[in-house]
Amino acid sequence: MHRALTTLMLVAALGGVRSGTGAAQQREVVEMVAERFTFTPSRLEVPVGTTVEIHIRSEDTDHGFHLVNGPNVIVPKRRQGEAVVVFEAEAPGVYQFECSKLCGAGHNFMKGEIIVTGPNDNDDGAGAGNDDS
Amino acid sequence: MPEMSSAMRLGRSVAAAGARRGTGQGASQAAQVVSNSSLSGYMDFHFNNREHEDPVIDFHRFVLLFTHNFSDHVRFVSELELEHSLVGPEDEGELELEQAYIDFLLTRELNFRAGMLLVPVGIINERHEPPVFYGVERPFVDDVIVPSTWFDAGAGIHGEIGQGLRYRTYVMAPLDASGFTADQGIRDGRQKGAESNVRNIATTGRVEYVGLPGLWTGASFWRGKTGFAFPRIESQVTVGEVDARYRVGELEARAQYAHVWLDGMGELNRALRLATQPGANIARQIRGFYLEASYFVLPNPAPREAAVFVRYENFDTQYRMPAGFQRLQQFDRDAWVVGVSYYPDPDVVLKLDYSVVRNQSDVIDEPNSLNVGLGWWF
Repeated sequence: MHRALTTLMLVAALGGVRSGTGAAQQREVVEMVAERFTFTPSRLEVPVGTTVEIHIRSEDTDHGFHLVNGPNVIVPKRRQGEAVVVFEAEAPGVYQFECSKLCGAGHNFMKGEIIVTGPNDNDDGAGAGNDDS
Repeated sequence: MPEMSSAMRLGRSVAAAGARRGTGQGASQAAQVVSNSSLSGYMDFHFNNREHEDPVIDFHRFVLLFTHNFSDHVRFVSELELEHSLVGPEDEGELELEQAYIDFLLTRELNFRAGMLLVPVGIINERHEPPVFYGVERPFVDDVIVPSTWFDAGAGIHGEIGQGLRYRTYVMAPLDASGFTADQGIRDGRQKGAESNVRNIATTGRVEYVGLPGLWTGASFWRGKTGFAFPRIESQVTVGEVDARYRVGELEARAQYAHVWLDGMGELNRALRLATQPGANIARQIRGFYLEASYFVLPNPAPREAAVFVRYENFDTQYRMPAGFQRLQQFDRDAWVVGVSYYPDPDVVLKLDYSVVRNQSDVIDEPNSLNVGLGWWF
C-alpha cells in the first residue's frame, strides 16, 4: 500500500533551551486515530525526558495535527498514509494540540493534550506547555 | 510559550526530518501556515424513485462553511445551506443559516459558545457530511423523531474531561408547538433562529464518551416549553436520546434510540383544530430507533474502496396519544434500507440504496424507493 509518511519533530522546550538534566531518554510509540471529530486517544501523559512517537492516521477526511503555537502537519485521508509526530518531552507542562483543517460541523471539538509530568507528581500540568489561556 | 523564533526553528527540524525519510513531503507541510480563515463545504445530489410517483432528481444540499480564527481562543464558525437549489414562493427550496457562532475557547475542560447552534442530539445532527453516513437520505429517525438538521439561536458551554469524556450544554430558543404534526412530530416546530420567540427558553445537552478506539457512545436531551403561540396551553417537550457507534476492522455498527414526550397535546390538538389544522392529532409520545451494520467489502485506498450496509428503522409519531384521540396507524412505521457506498475519494461518495417502508395501516400504503446519490466534502 502506498503510504505517505510525514515526520514532524517537536521539541517541547521553552525558547529552544534544552534542559540538560541528564534524564534518561525513554521512547514511547502511540497509535492515534483522527476522525470527525476526535483524536483517539485525545490525552497523553508522559514523564519528562520521554520521546513520544505519535503515528496518526485518519478514518475519513484529511485532518490537521497542530501543536498550539507550534508547527502543523496534515494527516492524510483514510487509507492514504499517516503522519508521524515525534515529541520530545523536555519540560513539564500541558501541550495542547488540535485539528487545524476544517473537517465539518464539529471541527472545534477536535482537540487533545500531551501532559508532561516532572520528577514530582505535583508537576502535573504545571511549568511550561503551550496552554496560555 | 514557544516563541516565534522557536517555532521557526522547529519548522526547520520538520523539514530536515522529512528529508531524512526521503518522502519530500515534510518540507512543504512544515512550511504550511495555519490560516486564519477557511472555506469548506459539502453537497448532496440525489435521484429518488418512489413507488407510485414520478422519479425526481434533486440537488438536495449545497452547503458552504466559512470559519475565521480571530485568535487561538476566539473563533467564528458558520454553515450556510441551500436546500433543493431554488428558493422562491412557489419552490421547495430553503436558504438556511444552520450555524453561525463564536467559540470562546478557554480551556480543554470549559469553553463558551454563542450564536446559531446545532442542537447536540443524536448521531447525525452534528455529523452529517455525506461521506460519513450510509444511505442516500439520512435515517428516517433523524428526520421525523430527531428533526435533523435541528438548529436555533443559543449559547452554552462545552468541553472535554479526562480521556474522551465530552459534554456540551446550551440554552436555546424553544420549539413552536403550532408547527407540530401527526406524521412529522416536532419537525415543523423548529424556529430556526428567524426572530425566534424566546418567551421561554429551552435547555439541551449531550454527554459522550469517545475515549476508546472505535467506540463512540452518547446521550442527549432537549427540554423546553413550546406553547408560546397558545399562551393558555401548558405545552412542553422533552427529548431523550442515546446512541452508539462501534467499529472493529472493516465492520461498523450504529444504534440510536430517541423518545419525545409532549405535554399538553390534548389541549393543543383542540386549539389547532379550531385554528390551522382541522385534523390535528399530535401524540403525547413519539419514539424511534435504528440499528445499522456496514462493512467495507473493498477495503482499499480510493478509488478502489466500497462498503455495503443494512439498516433497520422503527419510528412511530403516534406512539402514545392524549385522552380522546385515536392513533393513526399509518404513522407507526418501520423500514429496511440496504445499499452500497463507493468512494472514488474518501471525500466523494456515490450511493445506491433501496428502502422498504411499511406501516401498520390496512388502508394506506407506504411507498418503497430506489435512491441514487452523489455526495462530497471539501
